[in-house]
Amino acid sequence: MDMKRDYYEDIQLFQSGVVLFWTVVLLLVLFTLPLVVPNYYVYLFNIIMVHIILAVGLNILVGSTGQISLGHAGFFAIGAYGTVLMMTLFQLPFILAILIAAFIAAFFGFILGLPALRLEGPYLAIVSLGFGLTIMHVIGGVDAFGGRMGIKVPPLDLGIKQLGISWILTTDFHKYYLILIMTIIMVVGARNILKTRVGRSFVAIRDSDIAAEVIGVNLTIYKTLAFAVSAFYAGIAGGLFGFVLGFFDPFTFNMILSIIFLVMVVVGGLGTILGGIMGATLITYLQYDLLKNIAEVPYFGALMVAVSKQWFTLVGLENFSSMAIGLIMIGIIIFEPLGMFGLWIRMKKYWMTWPF
Amino acid sequence: MMFKKKMLVSVIAVWAVLCIAQAAPAAPPAGFDDNEIRIGQWGPQTGPAAPWGSVARGSKLLFDIVNEEGGINGRKIKYFIRDDMYNPAQTVGVVKELVERQGVFAFVGGVGAACGMAVKDYLAANKIPWVGPSAADQDFIQPLNPYLFAVYPLYRDEANVLAQYIVEKLNMKKVGMLYQNDAYGKDGLEGAKERLATYKMSLVAEIPVEPTEKDLASQILRLKNSGAEAVLMFVNPTAAVIALKTAANVGFKPQWISSNTLSDYPLMFKISGGLWEGVITGAFGEIPDSTHPLMVKYREAAKRLNPQERWGTFYSAGILFADPLVEALKKAGRNLSTEAVMKALNSIKDYQTIGPKINWTEKQHQGTDSVMIQKCGPNASYIQLQGWTTNDLATWKKK
Amino acid sequence: MPVGQLLVEGLAIGACYGLFATAVFWLAFVITMLFSILLGVLIEFLFLRPAKHPSILGMIVITLGAEMFLMGLASWKWGAEQKFFSLPLNPSVTYEPVKGMIINNWAIAVFAVTACIMLFLYIFFKYTKLGVAMRATQQNKHAAKIMGIRTERVFSFAWGFSSLIGAVAGMFFASRATLDPAFMMEPFLRAFAAAVLGGLMSIPGVIIGGALMGLIENFFGYYWPHWKPIIAFIVIILVLCLRPSGLFAKHYVKKV
Repeated sequence: MDMKRDYYEDIQLFQSGVVLFWTVVLLLVLFTLPLVVPNYYVYLFNIIMVHIILAVGLNILVGSTGQISLGHAGFFAIGAYGTVLMMTLFQLPFILAILIAAFIAAFFGFILGLPALRLEGPYLAIVSLGFGLTIMHVIGGVDAFGGRMGIKVPPLDLGIKQLGISWILTTDFHKYYLILIMTIIMVVGARNILKTRVGRSFVAIRDSDIAAEVIGVNLTIYKTLAFAVSAFYAGIAGGLFGFVLGFFDPFTFNMILSIIFLVMVVVGGLGTILGGIMGATLITYLQYDLLKNIAEVPYFGALMVAVSKQWFTLVGLENFSSMAIGLIMIGIIIFEPLGMFGLWIRMKKYWMTWPF
Repeated sequence: MMFKKKMLVSVIAVWAVLCIAQAAPAAPPAGFDDNEIRIGQWGPQTGPAAPWGSVARGSKLLFDIVNEEGGINGRKIKYFIRDDMYNPAQTVGVVKELVERQGVFAFVGGVGAACGMAVKDYLAANKIPWVGPSAADQDFIQPLNPYLFAVYPLYRDEANVLAQYIVEKLNMKKVGMLYQNDAYGKDGLEGAKERLATYKMSLVAEIPVEPTEKDLASQILRLKNSGAEAVLMFVNPTAAVIALKTAANVGFKPQWISSNTLSDYPLMFKISGGLWEGVITGAFGEIPDSTHPLMVKYREAAKRLNPQERWGTFYSAGILFADPLVEALKKAGRNLSTEAVMKALNSIKDYQTIGPKINWTEKQHQGTDSVMIQKCGPNASYIQLQGWTTNDLATWKKK
Repeated sequence: MPVGQLLVEGLAIGACYGLFATAVFWLAFVITMLFSILLGVLIEFLFLRPAKHPSILGMIVITLGAEMFLMGLASWKWGAEQKFFSLPLNPSVTYEPVKGMIINNWAIAVFAVTACIMLFLYIFFKYTKLGVAMRATQQNKHAAKIMGIRTERVFSFAWGFSSLIGAVAGMFFASRATLDPAFMMEPFLRAFAAAVLGGLMSIPGVIIGGALMGLIENFFGYYWPHWKPIIAFIVIILVLCLRPSGLFAKHYVKKV
């Protein structure tokens, strides 16, 4: 249904007027959302958007280039710590600080990309896992980074202190717009990367690295580049995450987080921008909001309490949420291997060909 | 086409500016009305720290008792427990949900120093009192946070008192320390060092443990070879059990001394297979089978209201943390307001229920520095070694 | 239907747990072993088999999902509080064959059981039909299928065996530490790393990898306790940079 007649049609940002229209509608909704929804949701949206940036970046690595990383919490941590330390130690303005931090993360991504030239599958997974643990541990061991006690985030000042301009964002509501704009830039950026020579090289490496090399893709450059780009995204996400949270310690960036990031990408759909977005949204929403406080949900809560009292323990009822997330993960992979993106494609097809 | 794109971008930009320029969001709903006072607590019901989730459920018991007795000045307490999985990002989420959706008057308890640090400023900015964090952190009380009232004795003070006990009462000269590599363990380490320095002594071994570590063989051997007669433990229950079992395996038998975090003897005795007997711990509440009239009352109520729950130290700590808030709410009278409760909290003096005496003033929000010292006897019985002991070296008391 | 089935199984774990507390140890032991095999096969049958041609990542996500589900179920049933678990071995009985080297019953039992399992696996993979089929399936699933191997059934057996061995390891760990729903997460990671260090699909490699992992951790941990949790991983990264398939596995170069 998406027929492209030439290259320039393929790389267009908006494939058709319909897409353009709905994109504008979506943007308008996103920009007005915090005005209509209750305030406490804005924090959730911020977290979701941070995770979207990260998932889109991770998807470039995992979905498009076919490399496994269980260490993205490490890049996330580098972004968060880097941004905060740049701002507190060197008094850099926020935008500069987050960019530098993201480039540091990208550099570490490049480093992690080097062993990836020789490793694959579970071996690469373990190396990246070790990398994530090492970052967490090193940060925890250095007192200048706040050590294990954690580090307090300075006010989010968009201005430049040296020039005396100051524009401090304090509420979630204000941060929402900053993060939203960053998210849009990063998502559009990811889409453009994938549509260029670089993106096609990534996909070629995923499909067969030997074949890619034969047709002239430089593996050393492009594999490490994929890691660096992905780490850059994680760094930006981490920098924003620190300000959403206001305080963090090394344990915040534990290995479970890396696994959750990977789950977001797989559940959302490998190798597509939309997949990363949908996966991050779903998993974050499930973890942070839905499935909390089961006992307070009308009807269903009472049922669960009764079930708990009869067969389980009431104190363990909260575990229902992790059980449900586990089942959703299994269900999506079993019934739709392309993840939520696959569901979306099916829905779209059904809609476009209806009533046939 | 280019023109259209520019139009689009500019329209979005105008929208963005308009939205940001919009007036600040509405204030959160009030935390009480004529019939109820809403109180919240976060606590890990799932995840790595789930065993400490019983603190939040303990506070629930106290509020249930208060409600049974007719509430406070005609208002019932509505209590919310939220699971944050010991993850600060989730703590912020659940606290915002409680404050901005449910409308919460005050918070009690709350496990985890990092989780507390993540929401501390938010609560203060929204003028919501937070009583009895279930964690001790220097940063909670210094500099003074007007809305935060700490009950828990600082780990640093406790380590101080324990080290004093080791040196003065047990007459042991070689003290080793096994500490969890985070705020909890490191505060304890500082305290122990501080006290030993006054005797011109130092720790013979300082061994860190990661909270999730499951193999402590090298750490224990290190302690053994340092010749420590007493080992001070500031670790979590699982690590403590592994330490004791490993030590038994290699034939290392020092006097184990630990913080009050491990003072739940029935649990520790059970999960260590009886090795816990003889361990000395700090304690900051009455022992579970105490004959203290309030303890008897709470114990009976727990049997009636929440029979599934084990009556342990953490569970009763939940009561202890919430007690002062109930007292202050009572004092504030029918004409309730945050200011009135704050005033009542600030004037709490020598208030004692099942824990140490608590004193708060306008300038000092660390309620106590006292711990008791107890020993685990046969069959997980409690032996009182030393009553409430204050730490004369406490840094927060000097100004 | 699958959910209901799993609930029943969850209760069965409960029964096992109760057995441990009250009944004769060996009976409970056998039942637990049988149950763990059943659970492994069940996970394969319910969760992995219906997934059509899952990628490695898809499989990782499914197993993680199963792990979250089972862990949640266990915590729901028994709460998160640590429980006591003991094997009928007295850890305080120690021997000192060489001066300065103390060994206890627990460690002897671990060595003995590991040796038995490894011997069994060695013979199994080398000489039995099923073992050879398993290796064939691992190397090339499609070729194995063409040769008449029922690869689905092989996967079921593999899951059953691995859960059985996992349960044995879990018992040893639990008797050294405490029992709670998440207690095996950390050892599992280290075990996976050790297997990778030695080389997957190589039994001597896995043993040596595990031994190296433990030794490196404890020797370094003795002198630099601060770096104990990560030192093994750093060593593994360095080793894998030199030998990309671990120390002992053959490095297959994929052909186009």
